[in-house]
Amino acid sequence: MLELKNITFTAPGTDVEPPRTIIDRLSHTFETGKLYAVTGPNGSGKTTVAKIIMGINAQASGSVLFEDRDISDWSISERAKAGIAYAFQHSARFKGITFRDLLAISLGTDDEDKLVEIIARVGICSMDFLDKPVDAKLSGGEIKKIELATVIATNPKLAIYDEPDTGIDLWTIDPMVELLKKEKEQYGTTTIVVSHNRTFLEAADQLILLRRGKIAYSGDLEGALPMLRDLSICTFTDTCEGVADVECYR
Amino acid sequence: MLNAIDKELLKGVADLEDIPKGAYNIRKNGELMGREVSANINIETNEAGNGIIITIKPGTQNESVHIPVILSQAGLHDVVYNTFIIGEDSNVTIVAGCGIHCGSSQSEGHSGIHEFRIGKNAQISYVEKHLAIGEGEGKRTLNPTTKIFMEENAHAEMELTQIGGVDEAKRMNEAELGPGCSLLVSEKVLTDGTQNAESKNELILKGEDSRANLVSRSVIRGDSNQDFFVQLTALAKCFGHIECDAIIMDNGTNQTMPALKAEHPGAELTHEASIGKIADDQLIKLMSLGVSYDDAVNKIIQGFLQ
Ligand SMILES: Nc1ncnc2c1ncn2[C@@H]1O[C@H](COP(=O)(O)OP(=O)(O)OP(=O)(O)O)[C@@H](O)[C@H]1O
Ligand SMILES: [Mg+2]
Repeated sequence: MLELKNITFTAPGTDVEPPRTIIDRLSHTFETGKLYAVTGPNGSGKTTVAKIIMGINAQASGSVLFEDRDISDWSISERAKAGIAYAFQHSARFKGITFRDLLAISLGTDDEDKLVEIIARVGICSMDFLDKPVDAKLSGGEIKKIELATVIATNPKLAIYDEPDTGIDLWTIDPMVELLKKEKEQYGTTTIVVSHNRTFLEAADQLILLRRGKIAYSGDLEGALPMLRDLSICTFTDTCEGVADVECYR
Repeated sequence: MLNAIDKELLKGVADLEDIPKGAYNIRKNGELMGREVSANINIETNEAGNGIIITIKPGTQNESVHIPVILSQAGLHDVVYNTFIIGEDSNVTIVAGCGIHCGSSQSEGHSGIHEFRIGKNAQISYVEKHLAIGEGEGKRTLNPTTKIFMEENAHAEMELTQIGGVDEAKRMNEAELGPGCSLLVSEKVLTDGTQNAESKNELILKGEDSRANLVSRSVIRGDSNQDFFVQLTALAKCFGHIECDAIIMDNGTNQTMPALKAEHPGAELTHEASIGKIADDQLIKLMSLGVSYDDAVNKIIQGFLQ
């Protein structure tokens, strides 16, 4: 249902730095109704790929195919209307916009019954969240729950969650994993979860390990275990090189 | 008694569909159009005949008074002095505002000088909207002045909005807070075209444990300009906060100058100010939920000014 073909993303250079390749000729095919977990060291390019799929980042070369159509030059709104949704790793904070407003935009209606219905479906946001302003005052966990709810409310065919568990309390992690599984089963949502959390990796039908902008592994969790344990995955060795007092403790 | 234009203006500035219930005073084109008093709220013309005195009896609970001004006469510049005497322990909502309809090339304007004397433990909520409509080319001017004197433990919320169509606005807000008082001022101004709006605010925290919070939100479209000045002065142990955000669209210009002045060691004063375009991450979030760029802009601005 989603195909990434030879995607390359280059970060523009600055006065002091030359342009840098962040995503390097990456290709992968995602099948309808499956749950994918994407993991990899910080800075390996997970968010960059997610944003390329949503149309927020423009790839330098390669193409994105969604339901057999080349959507490479589609705008963010067009992709959203076609059924792609992305829960941001770092959510936008507004002034004067409430959770209710965002949900109404996602749903395309501000009908109270529909809002209540979606909150019940998401389960992890309480009703009294509705009139909370989505501003800088929200806690890290609260904004994550809201971010997730706004994505589900669009009824996406393809949902991408970028570290949905950051800041989420112990009591909500499992319900969140169950929720994404249930969404997949009931609505056939193709789901991509970027996460460092083992619970998500275990729940996935397929695991993708990203390293330096390339897919280092894709398959089941068991097959990935040797690599997940392998210290050479640690990118600290790159940053630590040449610094005398630093050792890698992983 | 109300014609279609009057109704549109009243709806815009006071959210009124018709003549309000309870106490009111409607001024049209510089003259009294209608007045109603209640058992607890008295309205009378002042001695000079250039304004009204609104007196709220001590202990009045949950009543409201509407005092809209509407203007649709070419060339008229209306000036009024209104005084509000709010009795102790009362709790009232005051809805003011001025709507201008300009149908010709002659200018029209209104200057309202509102003075509030708020008694001990009284609570008021003051809502003021300014709006100008009409096809005419004439310049529409609105120069409101608000002076607030608050006695012990009084509480006031002032919501001041300039929705659109006003060519030239010079606002002046002054407040003096007694001990234990709290004041929340929220000002929202939208300008477009070549409009110009200026707002000067002087809040003096005189009494111990007084609190003031001023929130200003500006949207500056087209080639318009807005200048915002605020000075928060602390003369006692108190708390004050200023938050001003300006969103610039097109070629708008803005000047925001928050100033804090402490003349007492127990003063706690803070300010946050920002000027900039609509944040990209906000636009991208809304677009990722399926709305177009233009709709995303409108929704963000609407929320910001609501
Ligand atoms: N627009 C950009 N301009 C410059 N550098 C960028 C840009 N976008 C991403 N990068 C860089 O690309 C690298 C990958 O970033 P990305 O956010 O995709 O990592 P990630 O795998 O999501 O990491 P994390 O686990 O920390 O979220 C980082 O080094 C980042 O600084
Ligand atoms: Mg990331």
